[in-house]
Amino acid sequence: MAISPILRRRLRLPARVAAACLGLAAVLWTIWPWLPAGRNERPRTIILYGFGILEQTITKSVFPAFRKKWKAETGQDVELISSFAGSGTVTNQLIMGVPAELAILSTELDAQRLRQAGVIATESWKNLPHGGVINRTPFVIVTRKVNPVGIHDYSDLARPGVRIIHPDPLTSGAANWAIVAEYGAAVRKPGATPEDGKSMLLGIWRNVVAQAGSARAARTQFDNGFGDALITYEQDAIGNSSRSVSTHEIIYPRSTILSEHTLVVIDPHISEEQRELVLAFADFLWSEEAQRLFVKSGFRSVYTRLNPANQRFGTIRDPFFISDFGGWQMAKRTIIDATWKNGVLKEIHP
Amino acid sequence: MNSIAAYRRKISPLLPAGFLALVMLPLLLLPLASVFIHALHGGLGKFMAALTTRDALFAIRFSLIIAFCTAAVNAVLGTYAAYVLSRTRFPGREQLGIILNLPVALPNVVVGTSLLLLWGPIGLFGKMLEPLGIQPMFTVFGVLLAHIFVTLPYMVGSVRPVLDDLQTTYEEAAYTMGATRWQTFLHIVFPALRGGLITGALLTFAHSLGEFGATVMVSGNLRLRTQTAPLYIFSQFEGGNIEAANSVAAILAILSFVLFSLILYCAGKSRLKGARR
Repeated sequence: MAISPILRRRLRLPARVAAACLGLAAVLWTIWPWLPAGRNERPRTIILYGFGILEQTITKSVFPAFRKKWKAETGQDVELISSFAGSGTVTNQLIMGVPAELAILSTELDAQRLRQAGVIATESWKNLPHGGVINRTPFVIVTRKVNPVGIHDYSDLARPGVRIIHPDPLTSGAANWAIVAEYGAAVRKPGATPEDGKSMLLGIWRNVVAQAGSARAARTQFDNGFGDALITYEQDAIGNSSRSVSTHEIIYPRSTILSEHTLVVIDPHISEEQRELVLAFADFLWSEEAQRLFVKSGFRSVYTRLNPANQRFGTIRDPFFISDFGGWQMAKRTIIDATWKNGVLKEIHP
Repeated sequence: MNSIAAYRRKISPLLPAGFLALVMLPLLLLPLASVFIHALHGGLGKFMAALTTRDALFAIRFSLIIAFCTAAVNAVLGTYAAYVLSRTRFPGREQLGIILNLPVALPNVVVGTSLLLLWGPIGLFGKMLEPLGIQPMFTVFGVLLAHIFVTLPYMVGSVRPVLDDLQTTYEEAAYTMGATRWQTFLHIVFPALRGGLITGALLTFAHSLGEFGATVMVSGNLRLRTQTAPLYIFSQFEGGNIEAANSVAAILAILSFVLFSLILYCAGKSRLKGARR
């Protein structure tokens, strides 16, 4: 404690030198990758914006496979510069002008918004293989282990007292899929009318206790203990190894929708020298190799013969598609806007 | 009897401190502790592994560089602003001072959105710059711009009070001896300002390090390109990688602690100097 003033003065210089060295080391560490010595040859890049649940699959398995293939074919290194968020958020970012070369959106609705905003000139994704759809996944219900609230189908979610975590349709593609799934499950029952679809939505949305910006965020809320049930992609429920799988149960509704995820090539952002590389990666997404990787990480392939490879896929008695409701433009008008937004929401919050 | 009194004297100052700690426990201390607990949940090895992924390292480095540049730019810009506000008289001076301080009260998201609407491809400046092939938003420059905007009040706020307290007689004396405005600033004002300047720069650095709202709007959140540490934390948390998120959060917490210790030290030092003068 009691250091003599002389000793203290003597200590001051070494202490200062040490502090300066520490500071210098920190600065050096920080700028190291940008120094000539620390920097390797700059790899080529692809800039991709994707919707939430794709992050793990694209960055950890599909892109590394492409990088390896590209390296073998051309000897060049490629790096993926990417960003993942709710599909609606990604679309808004794209409209604001982020420099994406490729975008993978949860719904075709968002692709149409891009065209309306002039980000792309035509509905070019329709000319891609499978109309731009790279993979699918059905919508399921996730409950806590041993299903304490007794949920077996969407209709059980409409029971009073069930607390539901639902992504927000404003920013999340999953939320839009989920609304069509809930509505569709009701109207596909024999003898059902559109009115039954509306009362199903009304029942479910009365029980929604939290809305998250994306399916991923909704999942994180659910994992942290909120709510009794979560409506989400099957892929998010089975595919993500980092999630706590042991604490929840997956309920397959009798009828549910298979979401279809659309690749959009943002032509105006792709320079001449980039074109070959970007389009090669786009093509690669439909290669058997990539599709197998999708299946492995919980997505259903557009080549249905590959799907048996994943034993965790559940069976759905009555799967349906957005085309059964006349495509997204029609479904948006009749189900999302007319029934849900202007009907159900107004009745719940008049 | 005497010993009890001595005991009381020793204990009594501890009571309010103990009460403060009790109140702060659920508010601040426990949540902070949980960051470290979650970060170290899987052991030190996993903590280090989460920290040394390419994305995490990039995010931390990028944040540090942006914070440094922000502090450097604002040290000049903020000091100039404070000098003008304190030393010149013009109509609307107080209002300008208030406007300069607005970013403190505005949600940072609003700052980000307004920058985007001005400089983005659909904005006024953005449209003018587009034919030149310049696109400041969603680049390093956009992030820097947002951080400068958001942290400027902290710099002005640290320097201006010092300037206001500094008696103008010294400067007037310098002027009467024939010193120019610049010489006066360099030799009279600047030495007095040093404490406030360093405190302000460190505050700016710290705020920039933790900035989220404006950055998320203007950066495009591109990993390995414009993703700062707070954006990385948010992305990882949303993706359910709580450990990865908390590892970087723990580093930011430690850095902030060091920074604010430095700020306290500098502020204390300059106060001592002031007292001596």
